[in-house]
Amino acid sequence: MSTTFLPCGEYHESYREDHAWWQTRFIKAKMMLLVLILFVGIPLAADSYWLSVCNQIGYTALGALGVQLLIGFCGQITLGHAAFLAVGAYTSTLLILEFPWPTVLMDLGLAYPISIFIAAIAAGIWSVLFGLPSAKVKGFYLILTTMAAQFITVDFVITQYISQIGGRGQAFSLPPGTIRIGPWVIDSDLKVYFMMIVLVILFTALVANLLRTRVGRAWVAIRDNDISAEVMGINIVRYKLLAFFVAGFIGGVAGAFWISNLAAISPEHFPWFWSLWLVGVILIGGVGSLHGVIFGSIFMVVVMELLQMAVLPLATSYPKLLMDFLFIKEAAFGLAICAFMIFEPNGLAYRWWQAKNYFNLWPFSY
Amino acid sequence: MDLFLMTLTTGIMVGGIYALVALGWVLIYKCSGVLNLAMGEMTLIGAYVSLSFYSMGVPFLLSMLFMLIIGFILGILTERIFLDRLIGEPVLTVIMVTVGLSFFFKGTLEFIWGTDTRSFTPPVFSIEPIRIGPLVIGQVYLWSFVAAIVLLVIFVSFFKYTRWGLAMQATADDEMAALSLGVSARFVYAAAWAIAFMAAGVGGTLLGNINGLNISVGYLGLLVLPVVVLGGLNSVPGAILGGVIIGVLQNFCGAYLDRYFPGGVKEIAPFAFMAVFLLWKPYGIWGWERIERV
Repeated sequence: MSTTFLPCGEYHESYREDHAWWQTRFIKAKMMLLVLILFVGIPLAADSYWLSVCNQIGYTALGALGVQLLIGFCGQITLGHAAFLAVGAYTSTLLILEFPWPTVLMDLGLAYPISIFIAAIAAGIWSVLFGLPSAKVKGFYLILTTMAAQFITVDFVITQYISQIGGRGQAFSLPPGTIRIGPWVIDSDLKVYFMMIVLVILFTALVANLLRTRVGRAWVAIRDNDISAEVMGINIVRYKLLAFFVAGFIGGVAGAFWISNLAAISPEHFPWFWSLWLVGVILIGGVGSLHGVIFGSIFMVVVMELLQMAVLPLATSYPKLLMDFLFIKEAAFGLAICAFMIFEPNGLAYRWWQAKNYFNLWPFSY
Repeated sequence: MDLFLMTLTTGIMVGGIYALVALGWVLIYKCSGVLNLAMGEMTLIGAYVSLSFYSMGVPFLLSMLFMLIIGFILGILTERIFLDRLIGEPVLTVIMVTVGLSFFFKGTLEFIWGTDTRSFTPPVFSIEPIRIGPLVIGQVYLWSFVAAIVLLVIFVSFFKYTRWGLAMQATADDEMAALSLGVSARFVYAAAWAIAFMAAGVGGTLLGNINGLNISVGYLGLLVLPVVVLGGLNSVPGAILGGVIIGVLQNFCGAYLDRYFPGGVKEIAPFAFMAVFLLWKPYGIWGWERIERV
């Protein structure tokens, strides 16, 4: 599924060209256009509502990226990724609120960026801790330990202990103006949007490149057959734990990013539902494909928004619908996953690949 | 000492209900190899259905019977519509379909019945506790335990002595051999789901009688996972033993550890225990150890 046919008449003269990310002039132009749309088009065109939808998509994509890395590329099924998002978010929040920052750093506005980094490391280490069983168990048993990670982290440690720090009880509120990067205070959807788009592009590129290295190939080998990977000399425990670390790291960044969009964080932002949602995103987008992460995120968020729009006019005559929208959303999510698994097991990324190849070979499909 | 005995008995009695639900889970896994994460919602469906009948004035046992019939139908429908097409698909696909099912069920349930706690009114079992020597046991617990044991016996003897049960056992043991002897695998899968739905429904009804019924009873259905891991994924006696052990463990943690770690120790303990247990003995007490060959 990874190979895309080149358009008629295109050929490479060097390995450098063969390995290039953007292989034809058309693709380069297309990607430039995409960057232009992302950085200029959407901020100009979208109003606050659609920007917040975009932020939601970006947050989902960042979270799902780690899940994709674990499930799609390393074959380690995780159903507890929200725990690592929560660790990231809480570490970052606590650092900002409780840590005695030197005034120099505060004045430069570096507190938040540094806290994101530390939060990501913390989430990565936490993720490795719960990835340790993967050295011994796999498949369904690993799913159970990742589920345990979710319940232990979010429902127990964070709800019962971390939330008590500073005597705030349930939620940590972030006063306006505390979240700033350099001179910019992140206080509007637009600023969150720019931060989101930078992070998403950065981490997608990072993971995409990581997958082309020795590390990435080792992960794919483990996914395809862990025993033969071991026979070929791959230290599978080390690489599995590395995958957990990187996935947790990205999850931590996602969580720490998301606090910029929230007025207060509480354990309810990271339920088990959210872990399963992220897995659903990559299943719908396509397992083992970075396009899948993006497509899945867009699909899920936009479909849910559209569903909400469809429900709103009905709500005037049936107010129960609006109240129970959360439940409709849950049921729709469940049905969507079932339908995709049954009818479209390769996900949206596969259709995208098909369409791309069709046009690359057009008009002669050989 | 009293606290110890009380906790132990309560644990065993609740464990009986867990064992019943776990039995349904193990059955599905044994027969069709599906790792079912929708068990919690299946218990909820049964519980809500029998509660609705009961609050309409139908006698408790009769409403239980109606619930069993509806559970049977739903089980067959679920298998036919969703899982029949997935035979031979990778594990993740099948698991995620059951996750999808669990969301679908949960959303639908919440939409129909709301999230408020409902209780069986008038109470099915008398509130007056029974005293046996120093022990004080709530009647709900006692009767639930008795009901769970009776059903367990019925299910186990169904597998041992009836033709259908034997067919299901044969399929679980060796699908190919069973097929060649004329056992219909599709029938067995459907029957496994139907029975699991019924067992989960009974378990849910009993659990709903103890503390009232709301969506969080579905969490107790998730407890089935530590239970089956402890007992071994494909072992019926293991499910029963695991259910009792988890029930006891959970109540002991609630009774003794709660003062050191205030909050949700009781809910978390089975999962924490499971995570540690997996490292030590991943195939459970009586599960089959799978030897991998390349």
